[in-house]
Amino acid sequence: MTEIAIPRLKLEHIYKSFPGVQAVSDVSLNVYGHQILALVGENGAGKSTLMNIVNGVVPLDSGKIYLDGQLVSIPSPRRALELGITMIHQELALIPELTVGQNIFLGREPRRWGIGVDWKRLYAQAQRELDRLGIEVSAQATIADLSIAQRQLVEIAKALSYNARLIALDEPTSSLTSRETDTLFRLVRSLREEGVALIYISHRLEEVFELADRIAVMRDGHLVAVGNASEFTPAEVVRLMVGRELAEFFPKVPAKRGEPVLKAVNLKAGREVRGVSLELHRGEIVGLAGLVGSGRTNVARLLFGADRLEGGEIWFEGRQVHLRSPQDAIRLGIGLVPEDRKAQGLFAGQSVRYNAGAGLIQRLSRWGFIRFQAVNRIVRELVERLRVRTPHLNQKVRNLSGGNQQKVIIARWLGLNPRVLILDEPTRGVDVGAKAEIHALMSELAAQGMAILMISSELPEILGVSDRILVMREGRIVAELSREEATQDRIMQAATGQL
Amino acid sequence: MLNGNHSSSFISFLRRTSTYLILLVILVWFALLSPEFLTVGNLLTIALQTSLVALVAIGMTLTIITGGIDLSVGSVAALSGALAAGLATRGGLGTYPGLLIGLLTGLGMGFLNGAMIVWGRIPPFVATLASMAIARGLTLVYTQGRPIAGLDKTFTFWGGQGALGIPVPVWVLIVVAFLAYFLLKHTPLGLHIYAVGGGEETTRLAGVNVGLVKFSVYLISGLCAALSGLILTARLWSAQPNIGVGLELDAIAAAVLGGTSLAGGVGGIPGTLAGAFIIGVLSNGLNLLEMPSYNQQVVKGMVFILAVMLDYFIKQRQAKPKGNPAD
Amino acid sequence: MKRSIIYLLLAFVLVLAACTPAAQTATQAPQQGGEITLGLVISTLNNPFFVTLRDGAQKAADAAGVKLIVVDAQDDSAKMTAGIEDLINKKVSALLINPTDSDAVVPAIQKANEAGIPVFTVDRGSNGGTVVSHIASDNVAGGKMAAEFLCKAIGGKGNVVELQGIAGTSAARDRGQGFNEYMSASCKDAKIVAQQTADFNRDKGLKVFENILQAQPEIAGVFAHNDEMILGAIQAAEAAGRTGIVFVGFDAIDDAVQAVKDGKLAATVAQQPALMGQMAVETAVKYLKGEKVDASIPVPLNLVTKDTVK
Repeated sequence: MTEIAIPRLKLEHIYKSFPGVQAVSDVSLNVYGHQILALVGENGAGKSTLMNIVNGVVPLDSGKIYLDGQLVSIPSPRRALELGITMIHQELALIPELTVGQNIFLGREPRRWGIGVDWKRLYAQAQRELDRLGIEVSAQATIADLSIAQRQLVEIAKALSYNARLIALDEPTSSLTSRETDTLFRLVRSLREEGVALIYISHRLEEVFELADRIAVMRDGHLVAVGNASEFTPAEVVRLMVGRELAEFFPKVPAKRGEPVLKAVNLKAGREVRGVSLELHRGEIVGLAGLVGSGRTNVARLLFGADRLEGGEIWFEGRQVHLRSPQDAIRLGIGLVPEDRKAQGLFAGQSVRYNAGAGLIQRLSRWGFIRFQAVNRIVRELVERLRVRTPHLNQKVRNLSGGNQQKVIIARWLGLNPRVLILDEPTRGVDVGAKAEIHALMSELAAQGMAILMISSELPEILGVSDRILVMREGRIVAELSREEATQDRIMQAATGQL
Repeated sequence: MLNGNHSSSFISFLRRTSTYLILLVILVWFALLSPEFLTVGNLLTIALQTSLVALVAIGMTLTIITGGIDLSVGSVAALSGALAAGLATRGGLGTYPGLLIGLLTGLGMGFLNGAMIVWGRIPPFVATLASMAIARGLTLVYTQGRPIAGLDKTFTFWGGQGALGIPVPVWVLIVVAFLAYFLLKHTPLGLHIYAVGGGEETTRLAGVNVGLVKFSVYLISGLCAALSGLILTARLWSAQPNIGVGLELDAIAAAVLGGTSLAGGVGGIPGTLAGAFIIGVLSNGLNLLEMPSYNQQVVKGMVFILAVMLDYFIKQRQAKPKGNPAD
Repeated sequence: MKRSIIYLLLAFVLVLAACTPAAQTATQAPQQGGEITLGLVISTLNNPFFVTLRDGAQKAADAAGVKLIVVDAQDDSAKMTAGIEDLINKKVSALLINPTDSDAVVPAIQKANEAGIPVFTVDRGSNGGTVVSHIASDNVAGGKMAAEFLCKAIGGKGNVVELQGIAGTSAARDRGQGFNEYMSASCKDAKIVAQQTADFNRDKGLKVFENILQAQPEIAGVFAHNDEMILGAIQAAEAAGRTGIVFVGFDAIDDAVQAVKDGKLAATVAQQPALMGQMAVETAVKYLKGEKVDASIPVPLNLVTKDTVK
């Protein structure tokens, strides 16, 4: 970085507005080869729009884009690919029904006799690409059969097969285990060695500081800071992102631990859950840590009646209960905020009112008719209490940011006054400000006497929010740590079996 | 799960072959119960009768793989048959120009469907429901509701006996099925058809002209429907304005029985052919077994549900180890 | 999960097994040489007329000790052809065909001819192929029957109107022929003052008869080639306040039978589908036993009047 290089990508005074929003405002930014630039900002800060402009997904209003010193226009994703610009999206852009090779070469299949696809060549080339990157996946495997991490790596292989000179990665680790994250990081670093320019978008500041050479911070469409990573501290970055000082990352109101509400004894289900016992008390937040795949989500689903129990007992307020379906759990007052909010938690095409009120409808119906006024009143209260940022209750939920979507799901449960709330990765893909709000809300609920079980892959979150931490490994609970004795190291040791 | 590998490979075998196994079971069953069933003559009859549905089902399969559907096929078949027969006879154009116009009619209706879906952004179900009514209406307007007879031998040839004692419609089916198979499995368009059904936006971002892919499948579906209508007209020696009512349902059933997912992205020609033959064999076999027609409909419906459920359960079981996404 | 697959397979087998009882008789029948199996391919069983026809055929088959296989074409010419092909492969002794369409059925009949299976058409005829006999209602006799009744009802004299069906159809031709033959031969004092077509259609019947009412101040009786037209005519007469007209229809549809009960319609000529089915079976059996049968078997009709209606 001592030599003065021509930037791989040079953005000059980029502007872009959507109806009612100035999404990107006067952004000038250089991205160099042999470097990883971390682009951070809260959701809605304009990172995605900026990346979409660079990838030709949306046209810019004004400004100039230079690639290796050449002025270029990028009217389509196709053109971006031709220029060697690729983007790895948060929602993976792979077609699950097709094979790895077919996905990599989609739209530019090698031909035979002019009309046919040369499958042999396609698979050979794809396999060569995968092998080169050290990705242990068969080019003939179907995407649907791969893990999320493998798909992510395939996506990168696909990007590189375009001879990418600039790769943007949008939240690539949000669904990876730490081991998979390591693999990804290795790959990203080796790409840097090869001279690729990388833009890395993430909410996880630890990752940003681990990986990035430079950091660029966006807020409200503006680029508010850019510089070498060593010039920043995490606290500074957060302050720049939210534009205010966050007093406490994870505000935790100490709560009095009450009597036990939910007790699980030796739960068993398949290979994923092999004898889990736990107890939740009123007023406490229990963190459930462990690697992805350790069975955390399965335990949550068993406690919610979503999966069938093969062995063990569940006790609720001193009575043994048989949860045959989520309805049973809901009737008792157990709620689950699922990990995959788009697929399991939200009716994305419906309004905030509908999503927040969906759980109330049954209770607030009389003679088969929904009492809309009552539903409206409660929904409005909840939306205000949870500070859901939405222009109005009829806004489609898919247009809200991740954090606000999560709040809507929590609002739905609060309308039912649950005694136990299980949250599975409640802040995944949620920006820093909203994250703190969700944490504050959890501790407030606990203080009011609710028992909360939170699953999280983010250790700082687990450590900051939980009163008590359970660590799972291979279907069993292998450690129970109090707030005081828990550290990142102890949790990781338990989770990886190095105890 | 000590026998995990063993049982899962058995299940994956079942998954790949369930449609064919069901067809085989039905064939064996009828062969055991009816002495007339397993004769060359009867098997050829089944092939002949099935070819009409199978042709339409091939086009339907392509549309369904892209995540769409074509409800207009039955009406398009009737319209193509009527126009071809009418122009060949009363129009005085002769057989081949008539047949050509019949095929062009199918392409034209396919174009209309494609235009509504790609340019008009109308959901395929709605768009083709509309063209289904339009094509049927045009057929009735053109024929005034009456059959058109008086086709000459060059026309009726297409519904009759062909080389090697195999009926011409069966030959046509073989050729079309082969072409469609090649298209799906060995051409970029085929790959793109699967891709559009698996993820339209992803496909678009990969630089594929998604609109063109969709247009292609509706054009092909229209062409297949027209072929089926022309062959049916040749087989009946007359164009009947009310042929093909409900044909779309048989075609969808054949595709679904053959493992094509209505959600798109999955399916194939061999499966669809097997599905069409399940339907054809059932009709023929139940007639041979002298089952009263009312009961036949019940049995067909039940076999359909059972076959689809069996397929679903086998696939679900196969998918199970990966079913629970993250944890 | 494995268990549910087994249950499904079991259900699958059970459904197939449901076909067996019929099959057992099926496998025996053709093997006992000399047994007669008739195949009846019927245009539709969604119409009570044809259901009754089938019931009549079944009764006659039972009485004659022959087997009858019925295939429903569901008003679909392709299904009809397929059904005929299936029964040819089944090697039935004779085929009774009630075509969906007189042209579309021809190739299938030719296939039966090639297979040496005698073909009989019922109700609707075929425009080609070799057919042993055509069994259908005797529309000429029906027209005569209507004329005879009408003549008597108006006392043998007065002005008479004939509402005709679609020109060129066999029903319109035959019904009109029988009616006019009787009127000119045996009811000479009555005068046919108007003969107009109303296309078998109730609406047209109403409009056409309105005009006739304008032109003809004196009308004693009306005969229409079907009930739809006569019901239209009755409406027109009621609207115009004309009374004392004797109305006679054809087909005995439900509305018309009700009108007979109400006394608005004097009579309607009824086809006898059960008898048609019965005669079809009897004709085929006779032929298969080596007797000679006529090429055209007229099925008698039946007059529905206030006295005969149930």
